[in-house]
Amino acid sequence: MTHRYKNIAIILSDTLQRIGLRCLLLDYFSPIEITAFPGFDDFCKVEEDSFDFYFTQPDIFICNADYFLPKRNKTILLLNDSSSALPPPGQGFHSLPLKASQEVILEQLQHLFASTINHTPNEGNRELSSREIDVLQLIVKGITNKEIADKLNISLNTVLTHRKNITSKLGIKTVPGLTFYAIMNGLISGDEIEL
Amino acid sequence: MSLVYPKMQLSEVVEEHPSLIPVINRFGIRLGLGDKSVQFICEKQALDPDFFLTMINTFLNEDYFPEKKLQSFHTSLLVDYLTQTNHYYQRSQLPNIERHLNYFISMSTPENSSLKVIRKFFYSFKDELLKRIAKDEKIWFPYCLSLSEKLKDITLPVFHKEEEGKTEDPIEALLADLKSIMIKHLTGEYDENLCYAVIVSINTLEKDIRQHNRIRYRILEPIVWGMEHS
Repeated sequence: MTHRYKNIAIILSDTLQRIGLRCLLLDYFSPIEITAFPGFDDFCKVEEDSFDFYFTQPDIFICNADYFLPKRNKTILLLNDSSSALPPPGQGFHSLPLKASQEVILEQLQHLFASTINHTPNEGNRELSSREIDVLQLIVKGITNKEIADKLNISLNTVLTHRKNITSKLGIKTVPGLTFYAIMNGLISGDEIEL
Repeated sequence: MSLVYPKMQLSEVVEEHPSLIPVINRFGIRLGLGDKSVQFICEKQALDPDFFLTMINTFLNEDYFPEKKLQSFHTSLLVDYLTQTNHYYQRSQLPNIERHLNYFISMSTPENSSLKVIRKFFYSFKDELLKRIAKDEKIWFPYCLSLSEKLKDITLPVFHKEEEGKTEDPIEALLADLKSIMIKHLTGEYDENLCYAVIVSINTLEKDIRQHNRIRYRILEPIVWGMEHS
């Protein structure tokens, strides 16, 4: 993958709310990765600290405030009505009104994602380094990893790392795909491989 | 996306989702469906309606994949279905893409070298897919069937194959690259209309192969593993 998808945790006890939110997010904000949990205990079992957003309900938030407070910028509370007293607004956390219309909810989600996540892939990072270009030129000639390592005087592991980086920078996984890229970008001439 | 049920009129379902036509063809059902229900048509064709509906529903809904139910079907049904999809790739989809692609290239500027590379790319994909189909027919499918014949009186538990560490299917990866490269890197003069036809035909095959692979890796492989270790 050239960029990581938004990674979202839904921690809600109400099954229908969990499913509903999940469907809404998948329908309108894909590509997106969602993991849903019925309670904080289940969530703790897999917690990897790598979620971009946490959707949860006020009581779970309050009971686990130590966990959520440092993450309040990434936490979205589902509130029954806007005048709900728990917890007080204006402290950096986000909320979603459960009873608002779908249109309003979508608008708020759009606003939330737009303000916090940069959607455009980082172009600057996607240029191949000169060493990666060397490796790419050899890959498309059909040479094995071992031979590439020998030719360039680097270890097999380094070749594998270069391959991994090339794939992730270009978003191309297969040798025929890389061949196309190399030809179109003048890294190799069409005569060097059989067309 | 809603599920299809036995009482529904098959013609209405197909009108809503014409992409099902090749899928129902695989079961020997042809157009001219009239207003017959799914159940009626299955009875007439001597099909297991449960299996037929599960195949249709998993084809239509990429999120719907009832593993337990799928593993409960007889191995021969699954192997038959996968064999039919292979035939369809071999006899219809591959020639279809090839025809579109050749026409597309012949109608575009002859010196556009990017198109020749795309053609070469397509042939390497075709090669891979045909190799897999040949291996399925000669080795793997007969092996699955002989195992299930040997163990026909034994009820096997359901196996769940871990998603972790699964490697990407090379066939899917090639198709995804082929499509993505045309969309991202095509240059020079070319016929837009024919280009779209090529991409649509690639996309159709991609979707079909995704469903084929889900059944292959998440249903048939675990069943075979279970039979080997029983």
